[in-house]
Amino acid sequence: MKPWVCLLIVLWSCPAVPAAGGQVRDAMNPELALPAEGGGWQWDRRPERHDSRTLYRYMDGAAELYLAYGFRGLTVRRFVKPGAPSITVELYRLASPADAYGVFTFERQDAPAGIGQGSEFGGGMLRFWKGSHLVSIYADGEGGGVESALLALGRAVADAIPETGPEPELIRSLPGREFGLREGSLRFLRSHILLNQRFFIAHRNILNLDGTAEAVLAQYLRGGEKLHLLLVRYPDPQAAAAAYGSFLTAYLPDSAGNGRVRTEEGRWTLAERQERCILVVFGAATEADADALLREAKGRLPRRR
Amino acid sequence: MADSIITRRDFLRVAAGTAAATLAGGLPGGEARAAATATVVLVRHAEAVGSDGRIRFPIVQAMLDDAVGALFGTDPREAWRGLVTGADVVGIKTNAWYRLPTPPEAEEAIKRRVVEAGVAERNIGIDDRGVLDNPLFGRATALINVRPLRTHHWAGVGTCLKNYIMFVPNPSDYHADGCSPLGKIWTYPIVKGKTRLNVLVALTPQFYGRGANFFDRRYVWPYGGLIVGTDPVAVDTIGAHLLQTKRIAFFGEDRALDVPPVHITVADKTYHLGVSDRSRIRLIRSGWPEGALI
Repeated sequence: MKPWVCLLIVLWSCPAVPAAGGQVRDAMNPELALPAEGGGWQWDRRPERHDSRTLYRYMDGAAELYLAYGFRGLTVRRFVKPGAPSITVELYRLASPADAYGVFTFERQDAPAGIGQGSEFGGGMLRFWKGSHLVSIYADGEGGGVESALLALGRAVADAIPETGPEPELIRSLPGREFGLREGSLRFLRSHILLNQRFFIAHRNILNLDGTAEAVLAQYLRGGEKLHLLLVRYPDPQAAAAAYGSFLTAYLPDSAGNGRVRTEEGRWTLAERQERCILVVFGAATEADADALLREAKGRLPRRR
Repeated sequence: MADSIITRRDFLRVAAGTAAATLAGGLPGGEARAAATATVVLVRHAEAVGSDGRIRFPIVQAMLDDAVGALFGTDPREAWRGLVTGADVVGIKTNAWYRLPTPPEAEEAIKRRVVEAGVAERNIGIDDRGVLDNPLFGRATALINVRPLRTHHWAGVGTCLKNYIMFVPNPSDYHADGCSPLGKIWTYPIVKGKTRLNVLVALTPQFYGRGANFFDRRYVWPYGGLIVGTDPVAVDTIGAHLLQTKRIAFFGEDRALDVPPVHITVADKTYHLGVSDRSRIRLIRSGWPEGALI
């Protein structure tokens, strides 16, 4: 048998390696020493990992969210305590910190918990991102101190992830609270399917979001009225120009090419392209509102490097 | 090409009432047609789920009989003989999601009546994720669709229409736009025209959830119901309405799901699989009335 085959067998047969301090190293993330205990709950010592082939079954068909953000692996740990609900910890490893941020923002809806680089806690679930990891911790019931245990486990897992990473650069182009940004509404996206789940634009991929582009969607509240701003950045100006043409043809065919239309509900949609970016404001109460938001975002777009 | 693209503006147009023709057809590509109707039975029993959480088979069997009898307006056993015959090969499409699977009691209750209707046991199969590799499902002439009622990360709700996603080798191709293409699966030869009955198990439905494997007992309640019909769209419409009503009762508002269950409407308007307009669904209620919500 070749030496590298032996090494693989050894790795697969030794999934968990004890470490100091009651933590147990995870063979899939050898640098991580995940907690074996938290808030009185103990790990059941059954290692469970998934790759892109097995993720679909584990997620009951919902694997695309993670695959769209460069899924690299999932480690699952279940924690038990007699007479109390069990707790599940899911540790997803994504392609980059931006991808971890993307998965986090895609599903975010609750208040922050101050864990990791961004977190939310509510409805019996704690989610946070740190570095290239997205962590989801939830219990299958309430009572018996389970909520404090979720937080304790969350802090321990966050401590076990040594790396941090930057948020996607594109989000810095969003006008902030002074323009009415609702921060919890911000989503970082890479696929049109995911974009449509949060803000339906068209059933076809008219913005050419093919995985090489990145998008930021955010909701604003201006004068008590909601509107949305979408920024998309492409690899080069040619790709942006093609996508912009596709968008105008499919979504604003009545704009005479200038990207400005008062749509059927009486609100304004404005679209522009700047170098390798497309900016679209949806649902502004007035053209002036849309213009102001668009101009501000354009001024904040990163210059091509 | 642009003509066939459905955009947000199509929905705005409908909402604004500026395109009556689109409204009649639902979505571009839909056909205006005479308003169909559907019948759905909701049967409930207070003791179907014990205080220990166990499901009581004799009660589930009686509930199924009540539902089928009410649906067809006849004796249940006679109704079953109208649904399947000794010449049929019957696939019972169940659901195996480990957090809230189709209860074995519901599978067994269906199987018993299918056997009594004259189908040999060797010609009855029960399967979920293996249906494509299961030779019995490959030669099935009749399908009974049975699964639990719950929220679903991708489809908004996990109901009868969604349950056929395992009949395609590439389920992820049907996840776009809130799983709106799910109805298309029902037009494929492996299932088209074969479904004799849809049983949406609402014994312990899950009315709220987030993410794929989210399961919290707070959002599951002992409703003790079965929702039964031949029209999967109508059955799902009633099921989705029940979950929505429960969310409003529980949270004081209709807390948003991960995705709205648009696939039910699309199954009606685009694939013409049934009725999604509740005003055109006749709901027959039977059994335990307390806390029925709908």
